[in-house]
Amino acid sequence: MNARVIEAKPVSTRHIPGELGLWIFVLGDMLVFGLFFSVFVFYRAQNPELFMQSQATLNSNYGALNTIFLLTSSWLVVLGINAARKNLNGLAFKLLLLAMLCGAGFISVKVIEYSEKIHAGIGLTTNDFYMFYFILTGLHFFHVLIGMVALAVLCVIARRGISKPSDLAILEGGASYWHMVDVLWIVLFPLLYLMK
Amino acid sequence: MNKRSQLICLWAAPLMGVMVTIGWWLLAKFVPPPLPSSGAAEIAELFRQNTNGIRVGMILLVAGAGLFAPFIAVISAQIQRIEGSPPVLAYTQLLGGAMSIAIILIPAMLWTTAAFRPERNPELILLLNDASWLIIAMTFSPAVIQNVAIGLAILGDKNQPPIFPRWVGYLNFWVAFLLLPAGLMTFFKTGPFAWNGLLAFWMPLVVFAIWFNVMFITLLKAIKRQPDVGVLR
Repeated sequence: MNARVIEAKPVSTRHIPGELGLWIFVLGDMLVFGLFFSVFVFYRAQNPELFMQSQATLNSNYGALNTIFLLTSSWLVVLGINAARKNLNGLAFKLLLLAMLCGAGFISVKVIEYSEKIHAGIGLTTNDFYMFYFILTGLHFFHVLIGMVALAVLCVIARRGISKPSDLAILEGGASYWHMVDVLWIVLFPLLYLMK
Repeated sequence: MNKRSQLICLWAAPLMGVMVTIGWWLLAKFVPPPLPSSGAAEIAELFRQNTNGIRVGMILLVAGAGLFAPFIAVISAQIQRIEGSPPVLAYTQLLGGAMSIAIILIPAMLWTTAAFRPERNPELILLLNDASWLIIAMTFSPAVIQNVAIGLAILGDKNQPPIFPRWVGYLNFWVAFLLLPAGLMTFFKTGPFAWNGLLAFWMPLVVFAIWFNVMFITLLKAIKRQPDVGVLR
């Protein structure tokens, strides 16, 4: 009984964006990506020449372009949530829609990049570098797709306006998830495309 | 609601854990897994050397897998409290769980088949062993469906207080995501994504253990908190 009362009332007045449970997912997810990144670095250290040669075949312009797309969309999400907090529903909706457009840009670039590799006869089993390249970027891509669905939900809520506390929690939760997708890419991009 | 039968079903779970650990791990010695890169002679040798260990181990694995059913049923019973009627997520979870049991039972019986005549052509033992490992370790969709159904139900809970803590819902989504890399083992005989690899075997195993313990504890609390209604004896 006591536990329930404590759960229902926030113990501290510090604001957690979204809700506490979501952060278990976010931190858990980042922990796992951290493990994947460590395994990548370990394998890279076993065979640096192969990894360097294969890395040189990646087009880092695509990676850089996608970094810009995700950073811009994260920024737009921040602006959109702030607008929603001030009840500027139309503006919030437009900003979040633009953030989704950036997400769509990321997806398009990734699809072009994957198809170029596959046309060049490079796949998951070509070598260890490409195994990590496809799996790490593929898992991240999957996160982006889920994030697009989340952003679509945010657009709907923003357009309608915040009417209850759970609306704001969903807006902040979705935004936090999207920032996580961004952060993961910011680590993934130098690791796969740039690391010397 | 009959709390006692729910508790009996729930306690089937640790019993399952013990049986699977003894059977699959200690007796059959399938953990750590035999290498996916091993040839027929090496794999056949494992079955010849440990024939009875594998036979007894597989009996325990089959018995333990059956005990997963009541545990899955308790999860669905508690999800049904969240959902009301019709409890589609509870059904989805139940079906996912049922398929999970099948993907343990089938490889257990294929390993049994291999150990039934260990003197047979090594190529056939290799085939049975490959099939068993791929079925048990790569079939990701039942567990993913199960976890997503549980997660959606928990996050949709309107009860005050909720039946499960909300973070358990997010944990289920996290688990669903972590089981996905196992689906790639069809491509690899070595490395982290092969059936004995860090990211396709050990990580899902640890994640399953975390999920199993969290679900057990939160189910136990949910059952104990459940109001006694309809007991008229």
